[in-house]
Amino acid sequence: MKLVTKFIVLALMLTVLFGANLQAQRRVELLGAGASFPAPLMTAMADEYRDITNRRVTINYQSIGSGGGIRQFSEQTIMFGMTEAFLSDEVMRNIERNTGGKAFNLPITLADVVVTYNIPNIEKGLIFDGPLLADIFLGKITRWNDRRISALNPGVRLPRLPLQVVHRSDGSGTTNLWTSYLSKVSKEWETNVGFATSVNWPTGVGANGNEGVAGIVASTPGAIGYNSFSYALLNDMSYGYLKNSSDNIIPPSFDATSAAANIELPEDTRILFTDTPNPIGYPAAGFAWMLCYENMEQNNSINSKQQAEELIRFIIWAINEGQQLSEQLGYAKLPTAAVERSNAMIRQMKWRGEPIGRNILDNE
Amino acid sequence: MKSLKKRYLRDNLMKVFLVGNTIVVLTPLIIILLYVFIQGIGAINIDLFTQELGSPSRAMTGRPTGLVHTIIGTFVVDILALIIAVPFGLGAGIMLSEYPDNKLNPIMRVMNDTLNGMPAVLKGLLAWALVVKPMGSFSGLSGGVALAFVMLPIIARSTESSLMNIPWSIREAGLAIGLPRWRVIMSIVIPASKSGLATGLLIAFARAAGEAAPLMFTSFGNNYKSSTLIGWIMGPVDTLPQRLYSLAISPYAQWHQLGWAAGILLLSFVILSFIIVRIVIREKNY
Repeated sequence: MKLVTKFIVLALMLTVLFGANLQAQRRVELLGAGASFPAPLMTAMADEYRDITNRRVTINYQSIGSGGGIRQFSEQTIMFGMTEAFLSDEVMRNIERNTGGKAFNLPITLADVVVTYNIPNIEKGLIFDGPLLADIFLGKITRWNDRRISALNPGVRLPRLPLQVVHRSDGSGTTNLWTSYLSKVSKEWETNVGFATSVNWPTGVGANGNEGVAGIVASTPGAIGYNSFSYALLNDMSYGYLKNSSDNIIPPSFDATSAAANIELPEDTRILFTDTPNPIGYPAAGFAWMLCYENMEQNNSINSKQQAEELIRFIIWAINEGQQLSEQLGYAKLPTAAVERSNAMIRQMKWRGEPIGRNILDNE
Repeated sequence: MKSLKKRYLRDNLMKVFLVGNTIVVLTPLIIILLYVFIQGIGAINIDLFTQELGSPSRAMTGRPTGLVHTIIGTFVVDILALIIAVPFGLGAGIMLSEYPDNKLNPIMRVMNDTLNGMPAVLKGLLAWALVVKPMGSFSGLSGGVALAFVMLPIIARSTESSLMNIPWSIREAGLAIGLPRWRVIMSIVIPASKSGLATGLLIAFARAAGEAAPLMFTSFGNNYKSSTLIGWIMGPVDTLPQRLYSLAISPYAQWHQLGWAAGILLLSFVILSFIIVRIVIREKNY
C-alpha cells in the first residue's frame, strides 16, 4: 500500500516539475542519426555549433550505421539522416509519393578508403593499382612476392608471405565505397561480386567494424584489408598508395580526396565517383550525405517551423564554416562543386509551402 | 555406530565443501567487480559527474568530458520503467496467486513466461512500434516502456511466488473478521510479504538497468543534457548500458577509459539501490 502511494506521489511530483517547465524555451534540439564514419566530425560540429549559438541549438547525432540512418529517416523518427550510400531510386520514389516532395542528399563530408596491410619491415607507401587490388580481393593473388606486386614496387623487397584478405562482416558504407571502386576497375569483380554495403566475398576473413578489420590486420603478418583513411591515420596503420585512372600514383591525402569530388556533379549529387576522372584525385573516395525532406513539415519528427529553420541554418553552417573542422579530425573538405549543389537543394526546402531555405540563404 | 571423531570429521569435510563452493561461486563476481574497478578508477573524476560527453575530439584533446547526462538519463528511464511495470507486474502476480481459479491464469502464466524468454531486443522493437513511431521521436518514455517489458514478467513471477509463501490460514483469518477479499490482499497479504516483493522488484530492476539492446532504438542516446525538463521524457536520452556499449566499441582509447568508468557507475548504481532498498525494508519490519 505504502509502496503504491509512494509511486503516485513521485509521479505527481514529476508532473508538477515538468509542467512548470513547459513554457516554451527558445532552445532547439535537432536529432540526427546514421553513418558511423562521419560521426566524429558531426559530433565535433555539434559541439562547435552549440558553443557559437550559446547553447541555444543542440545537435544530437547518434551513429547507428548508414542503413539505420536511411531507415529511420524514411520512418521519420529523426530530423535528418546520414549515409555513405545515397538513397536508391526506389526509396526516392517512395518518399516523393509519401511526402509530396523530394528527399535531398546533401554532401556533408568526404569518405576515403585506404588499403591497409601488415608486412614485417614494410611501412606505408606500397603502390597498388585497381586491377591488382581486384585480383587480390578475388583471391587470385596469394603471395606478397607475386610478380604483379613487385612490378609496381621496384626496389621493395617483398617477402614470400601468404596474402590474407580481411574484409568487413557488417554492412558498411566503407565496404560500399571499396567494392564500388573494385567494380569500376575490374569487369570480373563487377559481374561476380558487384558493390553494396555488404557483398559475398570470394575470399578472406570477415571482421566487425573498422576496428575489427584493423585488429586482424595488425595481428596477422601478410594481412591486407581496407579502412577509412582517418581510421588508418588515427591508429598508425600502414596503408598503400593507389594508381588512379590517369595512371598517377596518389598517396591518400585530404587534398586528393577533395579533388576526386571536384568534378561535374549531377544536380542531386547522387553519384559514386570512385575511380575519379580527375587526374589528381584519389580513386577510392565518395561523399557522405545528409538526408533531408523538401517539404520539411512532412517529417513527423520536426514539430515546428523554428526547428526546420534551425536545421537549415545548421546545414548551411556545416557545409561552409563547419568544414574548417575537417582536416584536424581526419576528413577532407567538401569541394566547391558540392557546396554549390547543396545550396541549390537548400533553396528548395519548404515549410508548408513557405520557401524557408531560400529566405535563410538570401537574408542571412 | 560411528565414533564421535568420525562424525566430527564428516561434519568438517562438509563445511569445507560448502565454504569451497561458496568461494567458487563468488570468485567470478569478485573478479568482475575488481577488474572493472581497477580499469575504471582512473577515469573517475569530478568532470565525469558534471560534464556532458560531446564529441570524441573533446576527449582526445583533453577538454572536459563526462557522463552527467547519461547518469540523469539512466535514472529517468529506469524510474519510468518502474512506474509502468510495477502496477501491471504486481497486478498480474496478485491475480496468479490470489485468484488461482481464474480461467485466464493458465494463459497468463504461459504468456508471462514467453515474455520473459523473449530476447530483449524484440522488446525494444515493440516499444519502437508502439511509442517511437507514433510519437515521431525517440524518447526516454519509449525507453521506459521497453525496459518495462523486461521488468514485467520478472515482477509478476516473483510477486506470485512471494505471495504464495503466505499461509492460506492468514487470509482466512482476515476473511473471518469480515474483510472483503481485496482488503485482505492489500492489508494482510502484501504487507506480510513485503520483503519478498521488494526483492522481486529489485531483481527486475537490476536486470533491466543492465539492458542496452532494448534502448538502442527507443531512448536512442544523446551526447548532451536535454535542454528542457520535459525533454528527458519526450526526447532522446542517454543511458549507462547503451553508452557503455558505444564507448566500448569506439576506436578511441580515452573513450574506452570512459567506458570502464561508466561500468563502475552502472555497477554502483545497481549495488546502491540494493543496499538502499534493503535498509528501507528492514527499518519498517515491525
